[in-house]
This record gives sequence, C-alpha cells and structure tokens, in this order.
Amino acid sequence: MGPGETRLAPADGPLLAGLDRIADWARANSLWPLFFGLSCCFIEQATAFTSRYDLGRFGAEVLRGSPRQADLLVVSGTIFKKIAPVVLRLYEQMSEPRWVVSMGSCANTGGMYDAYSVVQGVDQLLPVDVYVPGCPPRPEALMHGLTVLQKKIRAKERPARPILGLAGGSQGSTGPVLADGRTKDRDPRGTGYAGTRLRGSSVTPPGFAGNRAELMWTPPAAIYEPEEGEKRLARELAERFGTAVRPVSPTSDMPIFEVSPERLAEVLGHLKTESAPRYRRLEDLTAVDESARRERSGYPDFHLVYTLTSLDTAGQVRLKVPLHGDRPAAPSITGLWPAANWYEREVYDMFGIGFTGHPNLTRLLMPAGWQGHPLLKSHPHRATDMAAFTPEDARAAEPPAANAILGREVEPGGMVLNIGPHHYSTHGIVRFVLALDGEEIRDVGTEIGFHHRAAEKIAEHQSWHQFLPYTDRVDYLSGAANNLSYLTALETLTGTAVPERAQVIRVMLCELFRLSNHLLWFGTFVQDLGMMSAVFYAFREREMIMDVVELITGARLHPAWFRLGGLAADLPEGWRAAVDEIVRVFPGRIDEYESLFTKNPIFKARTQGIGVLSTDEALDWGVTGPNLRACGVSWDLRRNRPYGAYPAVDFELATSQGGDAYARYLVRLQEMRQSVRIIAQAADMMPEGRVKSADCRYGLPDKAAALTDIESLIHHFVHATRGPAVPRGEAYAATEAPRGEQGYYLVSDGLTCAYRLHVRSPGYANLQILPMLCRGHMLADFVAILGSLDYVMPDIDR
Amino acid sequence: MEMQSVDHALQSSPWEPGIFGLAVFGAVVLGLLGGLLFLSARLTPGRDSAVKQTPYECGLVPAGSARLRHPAGFYLVAMFFLLFDVEAVYIFSWAVAFDASPASFWRMAFFILMLLAGLAYVWRKGGLEWGLGKRG
Repeated sequence: MGPGETRLAPADGPLLAGLDRIADWARANSLWPLFFGLSCCFIEQATAFTSRYDLGRFGAEVLRGSPRQADLLVVSGTIFKKIAPVVLRLYEQMSEPRWVVSMGSCANTGGMYDAYSVVQGVDQLLPVDVYVPGCPPRPEALMHGLTVLQKKIRAKERPARPILGLAGGSQGSTGPVLADGRTKDRDPRGTGYAGTRLRGSSVTPPGFAGNRAELMWTPPAAIYEPEEGEKRLARELAERFGTAVRPVSPTSDMPIFEVSPERLAEVLGHLKTESAPRYRRLEDLTAVDESARRERSGYPDFHLVYTLTSLDTAGQVRLKVPLHGDRPAAPSITGLWPAANWYEREVYDMFGIGFTGHPNLTRLLMPAGWQGHPLLKSHPHRATDMAAFTPEDARAAEPPAANAILGREVEPGGMVLNIGPHHYSTHGIVRFVLALDGEEIRDVGTEIGFHHRAAEKIAEHQSWHQFLPYTDRVDYLSGAANNLSYLTALETLTGTAVPERAQVIRVMLCELFRLSNHLLWFGTFVQDLGMMSAVFYAFREREMIMDVVELITGARLHPAWFRLGGLAADLPEGWRAAVDEIVRVFPGRIDEYESLFTKNPIFKARTQGIGVLSTDEALDWGVTGPNLRACGVSWDLRRNRPYGAYPAVDFELATSQGGDAYARYLVRLQEMRQSVRIIAQAADMMPEGRVKSADCRYGLPDKAAALTDIESLIHHFVHATRGPAVPRGEAYAATEAPRGEQGYYLVSDGLTCAYRLHVRSPGYANLQILPMLCRGHMLADFVAILGSLDYVMPDIDR
Repeated sequence: MEMQSVDHALQSSPWEPGIFGLAVFGAVVLGLLGGLLFLSARLTPGRDSAVKQTPYECGLVPAGSARLRHPAGFYLVAMFFLLFDVEAVYIFSWAVAFDASPASFWRMAFFILMLLAGLAYVWRKGGLEWGLGKRG
C-alpha cells in the first residue's frame, strides 16, 4: 500500500484482514487487460505498452485476445450505438472479478460527440471503476488511471469473505450502471445554463432562431475561372445533350453541371470514356438535403453530387442531379463505376434516396434496425435529443448474421468465418465475413459503420472554426494532415490567401504526420505477418515525431493547430534543433527497417504476388495514395494538383510495379524517405513573416492584435463566438493525406455553420476493393492483404 | 570411443530409481495441481450467465455449428508429418544401441524401406497435395 492510502477499517479479525491484503496485493499487481480498442484513445493505450512508457512495470502488460482470459476492460474510445452490443457481450464474457477503466472523453461522457450514433458514456452500459480524462489521454494518463485502479483494489476491496464462501465482503466493479437522464445529467449545457439555448441548435436549420449571419456582411464566394479545355467541354456537353446538361456559374472550385436524372448515366458514361478530357475516376458521390435552404424556392428537395477527376489534366468536374419528393430515386451507376456501390448505399442509408439497378441497396453505416435517415435535416443530430440509450437497447441491437453480410448462402462443404468487429487483426472495429473452401477464400463480405461518429452531421451545427478539431479525429493517425484537407476546401470557397510561412509550416507538419502514420502502418503490418520486432522500432521512432509535434503544436494525436488562413501560432523556440534531429536520424532508421524486411525471404513469400490490384481496377474503384502508386501509377496530388507550399519542394514520387502487398510496402518505405527530404527542405527554406492571414474577414486575427486594436478585437470576438458567415456556395478540395486523397466537400448557405459537409475519405474507396483482392488466396494471406491496405476506421465510417 | 564415454556417464550416475523418490515427486505434482485448482475455483465468484456460456466470437453471437465437413488437406499433411516423425524415435534408439552386426543393419534397412514404400504410396495418392486450388 502506497503512502496516503487508507484502508477501510477492518471489521473482520486479523485472519480475514490478512487474506484480504494478500488477495488485493496479488490482484492489483497482475491485471490482465483485454485487447480491446475503439478509436483514437487506443493508439495512446497501445503506445503505453511500448518501450518508452513500459506499462509492464505495473503488472498489466499482456493484452489478452479473448475476454475469457482478461479481467480488465480499458474502454479506449467512442462507444457507438452499433458497437454497444459487442462491448456489453465482451464485458459479460470476461472472467471475474473484473474491472473497467473508461479511457478518454468519449468513453466517459460521449465527449465531443453528442451525436445520434454515439452512446453518451460507457457508464450507461457497464459499471466503471476509473475515468481517465483527455481527448485522447496521454499514455502517462492511462498509467495514472491504472495506478488509481490499483489503489482502489487495495483500499476498497475485501475479497476474503467471498473467497472463503462467507457472506459479505466485496471484489471487482460494483459501481451502478447509470441511467441517462435519471441517475446522470444529460443536459449538454451543463449545470446552471438551463435558461440558455442549446449551442449549435438555435442558429442552424431548420430553427434559425438567434442567427445573426444576416447582419454580417460577406463578400461573394471565390470565383473559379474555367480553363480552355473546360470551356470546350461545356460546349461539347451542350451540343451533345442540349438542355439536359445545364452549366452552373459562377463556381468556386471546378465546372459544375446540373444534369437531369434521366440522362445521368449517359452523361457520366460520356465523361468517363468519350469526352475530352476524359474523367476516369469517380472521385466522390454524395447528396445534399436542400429542404432547409433559406431561399427554399430556388432548390429541389435533394441534389445528388457526383465529382469526377481527370487523370490526364488533373481537372475535376461536378455533376449535380436535382431530385424531387420525399423518397426519390435515381439510376444506379454501379455498372459504370463499380466503386459507386458503397457510395450509393451510403446515400440511401443517410438520405433515403433509392438507386434503381443497384445490386444490394441496404444500409451501410447505420445499424439495420435504425429509424430514419440521419443526414436528412429533419433527423435529430444530438444523442441528447433522442431517447436515452440503455443496456436493453444494446442487447436488442444485435448485428446481422454472417450470411447477411456475405450477401448469399455458402455452398455445401464451405465454411463461414467471422472476423471482427472485435479482433486483433482488423485494425479497428470492422467486421469481415469470409466464405472459405478449405483454406481458400472464396468471397469476403464487409460490414462497416461501427465507427460512425456522425462528423458530417456535427459539421452542420458547429461553426466553421469549431469543426476543425473534429477533422483531426477523422483520420486519427494523420493529425494535422486532416486540418489541411478541410481548410484547403474552406480557403478555396472563401478565397483566403495563406501567408507563405504558414504554408511551409503546414507542409512540414503534414509530412511529419505522414512519417508517423507510415511508421505505425509499418509496425502493425509486419506484426500481422507474425514478426514482432518491427512494431517496437516503429513506436520508438514515432515517439520522436510525437515529441516534435507536441513541441510545435502542444498536442500529440489531435493538434487542431491549423487555422483558416494560417496557423494557431508560430513555431516555438527550439523547433529547428528538434526537426534537424529527425532529419539526421531518420534515413538510417529506414535503412534499418529495410535491412530487416525488404530482402527477407519469409517477408517476401508472405507479400509478393499477394492481393494483386491491377491499374485498371485501381482507377475504376477510386483507389488513391500509396495503394494506387503501388500499381505503377504516377499520381500524387502533391505533384499533380499541387497545393500549399508543395510546388516549392523537391521530391520524387514513390511508385512501384505489381500492385501486390510487397509493392505497397516498398512505396510506403520510399515515401518515408521522401517525407524526410521534404521536412529538411521545409526547415531550410522556412520563410519569415506572418503565420496567419492579415485578412480576418473569415480567419481569426492575431490574439496579440486583438488585445491592442478594437477592429481585431471585434473580429476575434465574433469569430470565436458565433463564427464567421461563409458566403453561399460550395467547394471541394482534396489533399494527399498519408492514406490517399482526402477531400472535403463544403456547402454553405451563407451561415456560420456548414449547410452540408462531406468527407471523401481514402480508406472508404481503398477498403471497398478488399473482396476482389482476397478471392483465391489462402486464409493466412487475408491478414497480409488487410494490413497492406492501411486503413483506419473513423476515416471510413466518419 | 564416443559411444563408450556416453555409456560410462550413464553407469556412473549416482541416482538409483526407487519408490520413495517417485512418491515425493507424485505428492509435489498432486499438491501443486490441487492447490492451483482450489485457488482458481475459490478466487473467482464463478457466476454463470447465458452470455458467459456462449462461445467467444469476436463479440458477436456465434451462428451455425462448428460441426461441419472441412476439407482434410492440412489435417492429412500434419498427420503424415507426425507419423513419419514418430518413426525417427525408433531409428535414433536403434542408432544408439547399434552393435555393428549385419543382422541389425538389415533389420533397420527393411524398416526404412517399408517407410519409404508408405511415403511413395501417400505421395502417389495425392496425400501431400495441399494448397490453393487443390482439394485435399
């Protein structure tokens, strides 16, 4: 027992009290955590097990893969309504006595995610012993939580009586399961604010009460000047399709055409195969519910939005299809682009829009029994606006049977193997159903949506600035790179110019995160192949990067450090030495990794020729990032559609041939080398000057200026409270995030919040190809293929 | 010479098997096992529920049955490996006790020939075919 701890006064004699002490001592020092992670927090939990933090010192180092062998559940991350039945079942299957540590704001209270898909705290489902605050908590915070739990076991538990079969005594979690709204407060305003309006709700559609956007003058949205080829395309479409294709102008980011639903498939086919330039890739497909527009008469009920990309000119075009009625339908384009499969299912799931001719139009993200379509303006957005979620709800919401995920019955003699949602090698909560013939994979079914955090709905209720921290959490391993995708779209829409210094710092940060992301991928991928060592090296180097990121931004995983028009702050003193150290050390470390694996015959046998993706398939399915470049396609947004300071840095595009798991490995290793080069150049060229745009029409002014002149103070106050009103319009921009092209599609109705925000995430397109890559391979190859794709679930489920 | 020194070492061991040693060993083993079983039975509350009794299946309710006809390819390869591996025990013990007589040599040669014939049979029947596209 440590100093300052007080035991309960022993009511029993010395024999029982002594046995209490022995049992408590043994239990406190040998806790067995379940290998269980939900979201961002788990990254910090896993980090706590690595050499720098060495959680083993506290006797809780061996993560158990099965709940039978575990007695400690660290709930690290967001509890989604879709995963709640799984969490509950795992807890009930754990051995007893058992304990629960709730790690991070989401598990504690729902955190930032007061959203329809999120349970507002795990204590509504399970008794919780210790709450660890933070978003995410640092590894040290988890250690502290663990020591608090140890103290609790030693000081509060008296297991001698139950062990000996006597009445009385206590052991394990005994805390009550809380009932939302009855035994715990569900008012998001907090105590004492009951008279105020709910933040976010009052100023957004369909309410609008208290919205002051009309009082704020804003210039019109930025205007895009079409290129010569795009003007020709507009004429070509007008000649060929007449009034069925109507150009929209002005636009802010790319040419937009409004297409009637009847001619849609025809127009898309033309753009894919015949037009000049050809638009080879379906970049994104989504919808907008137009029913809450302030000028309602100018809009249909819905718009379907198709964004296409030409790989020849790097140009893009957007088609908008107006739809009318409560539950309209449009033709499916899965015949043209197979990638449309998931996109159309998601639109059906979120908006209730049907697609005629779709092979399997079922819900994709929401659980099968969900009532309503969440992205309709009429659907509640907060969990606290909906009925409280109880353990009974969790038990009733059982995920569908394996055959339903597979979409068919398995032939006689075949075997169905379920992997996930809680599994070592799924890298997050996702479920795969494999149809096996012996050890050969015949088919794969995927169920996603367990990690649906409702980011797109939240954006409609948070001011443009407030949404920034949510972007960090979309791809929680890529930190600030997420900020850049969102801000690039927002800066395109508002026409905000970013000072040079800020652009270079942004590039430096993004490349640091690319390094950190690829390191984590490298460690876990090699571990998936059964080789333990890499993950320890990878986390050692990753901590170096985390330290630099923390020095510069003050945070590790989720910096939220970029701002509209620049950055939150300038670089701190001492940044140069820290960055130089990474640039000095890293190339040698990458050599080390390569010497371990690149020519390793076992590694090669496990990856070469495994999960081969052809170039045509990659383009048809919208695969981006290292997975695309491993097919020999030299395409990288940093080079082909440069943004920020990338035109000023020199780097080689990492490509490889073959499109197999080995090629994907080679590309990522090469990219790490190039990232180090870019970081070195950025540090060398670092220009002087402002780090925030001087134009603070939309962006926050310098805090220092806000304290000295009234104009800046007013802008600061307005932008930090109600937020800037962004002019009516829309823009899409994508950046080359570590996993591929991450794009943000923003629609503004002239308000202080987005009217609609959609994330085009690389993992979504990259994971959809999984069944194709796996058919005909052995079961053991499945894990290698899965690891080689490098996805992260919040990026897919958003 | 090598062989003899091994024999010598064996002969010079001071240990002689006796009933007392066996009894002590047995008591320690039984005591340890009994103690562990007793502790694990007493230390856990041992509450049962329907959920706890269901097999662990990645957090879901298991569907279907584990009793299905599974292609036996991998099982066969593993079985053959075991069979041929066990025979090495006979060959090693024969080698240790080898007295250099022709009769002894021919006996083992016959044994190995029989094994080879068995291996050839298994090979020809396709028992070692295992992998993609090969239904074992």
